[in-house]
Amino acid sequence: MIKQISTNIFATIGDKTINIFVAAKTLFLVTLNTFRGVFHFKSREKGEILKQAYEIGNRSFLFVSVTLSALGMVLVFQVCLQINKITGDQSQVGPEFIKGMIHAFVPILTAMMLATRVGAGIAAEIGSMKVTEQIDALRMSGVDPIDYLIVPRFIASIFMTFILGIYAALLVILAGAFMAHHSFGVNYNVFFVFDKVTWGDLIIGSTKLLVHGSAIPVVSGYCGLTTKVGSEGVGTATTRAVINSSLAVIILDFIISAIGLMTIQ
Amino acid sequence: MISSFFASVGEKILNFSKIIGGIVYLFYQIILALLPPKFDLDEFWRNLYKMGVKSVPIIILTAFFTGGIMVIQASVFVKKFGATSLVGWGAGYSVFREVGPILLGLMFSGRVGSNNTAELGTMVVTEQIDGLKALAIDPFRYLIVPRVLAMIIMLFLLTIIGNVVAISGAALFGKYIAGVSYAGFWTSFSQNLYLGDLIHGLIKAAIFGFIVSLNSCYFGISVKGGAVGVGKAVNNSVVASALGIVIFDYILTYNIT
Repeated sequence: MIKQISTNIFATIGDKTINIFVAAKTLFLVTLNTFRGVFHFKSREKGEILKQAYEIGNRSFLFVSVTLSALGMVLVFQVCLQINKITGDQSQVGPEFIKGMIHAFVPILTAMMLATRVGAGIAAEIGSMKVTEQIDALRMSGVDPIDYLIVPRFIASIFMTFILGIYAALLVILAGAFMAHHSFGVNYNVFFVFDKVTWGDLIIGSTKLLVHGSAIPVVSGYCGLTTKVGSEGVGTATTRAVINSSLAVIILDFIISAIGLMTIQ
Repeated sequence: MISSFFASVGEKILNFSKIIGGIVYLFYQIILALLPPKFDLDEFWRNLYKMGVKSVPIIILTAFFTGGIMVIQASVFVKKFGATSLVGWGAGYSVFREVGPILLGLMFSGRVGSNNTAELGTMVVTEQIDGLKALAIDPFRYLIVPRVLAMIIMLFLLTIIGNVVAISGAALFGKYIAGVSYAGFWTSFSQNLYLGDLIHGLIKAAIFGFIVSLNSCYFGISVKGGAVGVGKAVNNSVVASALGIVIFDYILTYNIT
């Protein structure tokens, strides 16, 4: 009995370890091939990048606007509430809020929102193609599915995440100023002070946006390509895409923040 | 041109109203099923395990790095003003009240909510729900209510675990990145935070759990069109949950202070 249980434990651990290594290897290969595929200009359909940019960027516009402006207002509300309790001096709220938004909160929150919307969309689409054997059909006609499916989404996502991030930063700052003015009577002139924002903040913020924007399509494309055939397959792949791309965003954000703090801030 | 514009706007509004109506109707059905509370206890127990216990690793991972990110933001000030006494408070306050519930809620929606949509959607597609109805088993009492209750309870409990892990992560990274000792972190943390801050976040977490459960069950049982439809439903469900979490966060922050 005990022997059997202990064998089972080792079997489970070994099984999981092997699975993790296989997954890591496949993800690494997908990433490598995606970067390589950026330079395969011929195997790309014309207009595909623009189509994906529309799908990823324009159609997330409303979602990002609503979620980020609500989050901006909430964050200012919480900060002002706490400051009221301690000092009551709200002249520093605006500048520090703007700084914090640019180098920290806007990149991670925008990317989390896009990981949810775009990541799930990519995995659902590619997963459906896998289940209906369209991916096999692509391979049979000599087209690399990574070049054809993931690379256009990759390029489009980098651009659109960056643009949406800049838009989101402006929107969050406006929403925050509105909240601070209406609920706590902070003057707009006192709030909109951009002196605290350094080049370092801008560099960290944009690096984060670029890295997150490139991670989301790769991770969710990988989840879509490894969909298991069957009626549960697509749903599971979509779930995995949301979780894995969100986690990738959080971990990458942490790494870039730590490096940024040690070098340029 | 103009008529097609109005047609598309109208179609979107109709779709949106249909979803809202469907979710409200689902809410009504759940209330009915809970008066008197009669639902499948085995299924409830199974879901508690599947949704709660199995999500612990992902919640711990998320919370640990979230704590790290928060302490890095706080240590920007430490570098500038030498304000080590603010790190524990800053990290604790932001994790307890906002960042903890929101990020954990989003991860929960990604892992549990979308899994739930996929599962219910697959059952719809393979006609298992019709099978239940044919056996005179109420799908609401058997499938939906246990899941909704399990998600509310489990997101609440997972947020407690997540808060502990995030604060520990913040203390650990605070020591090695910002150079704040554990004792200093603890003093700042324990003197400036109140039980109210923790409860504020936990109330939010329970309500987020409810939002995620309603959304995911609604999109799950209204799946149409095979495996492809399941994928679309999961996609819609996570988007709707994220939207719901953020909007209700805004409303709740105002109303519970």
